[in-house]
This record gives sequence, structure tokens and C-alpha cells, in this order.
Amino acid sequence: MVSIHMLVNGGAADSIGEVGRHVPSFSSALRPQPLYELGAWGGPSLVSGKRVLDIGCGDGRLALGVAPLATSVDGIDPDAEAIAAAKRNARTAGIRNVRFATGAAQHLPYPGAAFDVVVLSWTL
Amino acid sequence: MVDALVEIHRVLAPGGTLVDARPDSRVRAYAALRNPRGFKRFGVVNTSRLEMANDHASDNAIASAVREGLFKRGRRGRFWHLVPFSSLGELRDYLREHPRFVHRADWIVDSATRKRHSTDQFVIRRAVRYELLQAVRSPRD
Repeated sequence: MVSIHMLVNGGAADSIGEVGRHVPSFSSALRPQPLYELGAWGGPSLVSGKRVLDIGCGDGRLALGVAPLATSVDGIDPDAEAIAAAKRNARTAGIRNVRFATGAAQHLPYPGAAFDVVVLSWTL
Repeated sequence: MVDALVEIHRVLAPGGTLVDARPDSRVRAYAALRNPRGFKRFGVVNTSRLEMANDHASDNAIASAVREGLFKRGRRGRFWHLVPFSSLGELRDYLREHPRFVHRADWIVDSATRKRHSTDQFVIRRAVRYELLQAVRSPRD
């Protein structure tokens, strides 16, 4: 059971990441921590017990961050390498309720009304 | 972008939530020195013209989807995101390669001050905005 305090605050007073490590511009390491971002949007209740789709999921930063709260999380991204990394990250983290697929937002490979929440985080 | 929003509307259950979160190019970003008391602004980091145009296009796409009755606007807000650097040189390297920002900061402190703090920790402090949109059952459903 993850505490609400931890989820909202992510253990940090702000969304700062690891200091002193230069990483490529496009790396999700330079994005806010997923639970900090979720906290800003309204908190865990936004995704708790819900089917979530993360469009432009990249290496799974947000999808894997919210997966422990959600019923299921799907992530989709046109970058096959990023999807491979997301799958590796899911395996490493032992998270089983996430699925990742390569694809574009214009042609989503999902049936109608399949999700309760769709996230465009740094995507649109 | 509107095509994508129509597709998102299709896969969302009626009443479902779309979260649109992205850096806010309408708010200036700052290069700031980190010190024990907080942050001291050293410069302004402007968004590149291309990214401004992209953000504007995204805003228009959302507005269009709302006008078409696919989504209803909900809560919106903004938070600060800090990108950390171990030195001023590292921050400069980041600006040179990052497409979102113009490649040089407009410094508001003199060069001697920058030199004195060149090996200290810096951040780029930028605004991220978000909006929650509720999927409305469209006439097509």
C-alpha cells in the first residue's frame, strides 16, 4: 500500500530530478517525477482503479509511475526503441498491469470506450 | 492534432478524462542558481519560435475539439518544473542542444557573477500547464 503523502509529494518538495547528471535532452529523466505530476493534476484519485492510456509514453516514465494505482495502463509511442525500453523498464520494475505498443495517436489500436483516462503528457 | 483528439475521444469512455499537460510557453523560463535559501535568477530562457508555434497549434486543436462538442473543459493549472545542472557550463550545453528553448539565455547578472558561480548548481525553472477535459458523448455515438 502506497501512502497518499508519498504519491502526492513523491518524496520531494519539488519536481527536481537527479542533480549533477547531464542526460540527453529528450530523456524522460528531465521530465517531472510521475507522481509529482499526477499530484499536480489532482492526485491519485484521477487514476485509481481506472483504465489508463498514456499517449506518447516514451520509455514508460508516467505509465509505470501510475500503474500501481490504476487497474491497467496502456502506453503507446511511435518510437519503437522507446517502447522496447518501456517494456524493459516494466520487466525490471516487476509491473504486470502495463502493456506497451508502437503506434500513433491518430490510429489507436484499441476498441471504443476502452479507457477511463487518457494522458497526453508533454505530447500534444 | 485534431485527428488525434477525435481518436482519443473514440477510445475514451463517455465521461472519461483527457489530461493534456505540457510546458507552458506563455510563461518565461528562468536559469537560476540553487543555493541553500532557494533560487536566484541569473537569466531568462525564452522558448523557440518553432515550439511557440507548436504550442499554439496544440491550443487551437484543443479549442476545436471542445467547439465540436467532443470534450468539456475541466480543471486547469500550472506547476513549476526544475531541470537540474551541476554547473553553468552544463546548463549552457543543454540550451545549445535542446529544441524547446532558444540556444542562449538572456543573462540578468553580469559576467563576473556568472564566472564566480560557474561551478555551482543551477536549474532551469519552467512552467508546466495542465488541463483536464471530460469526454462528452458526441452526436456521432
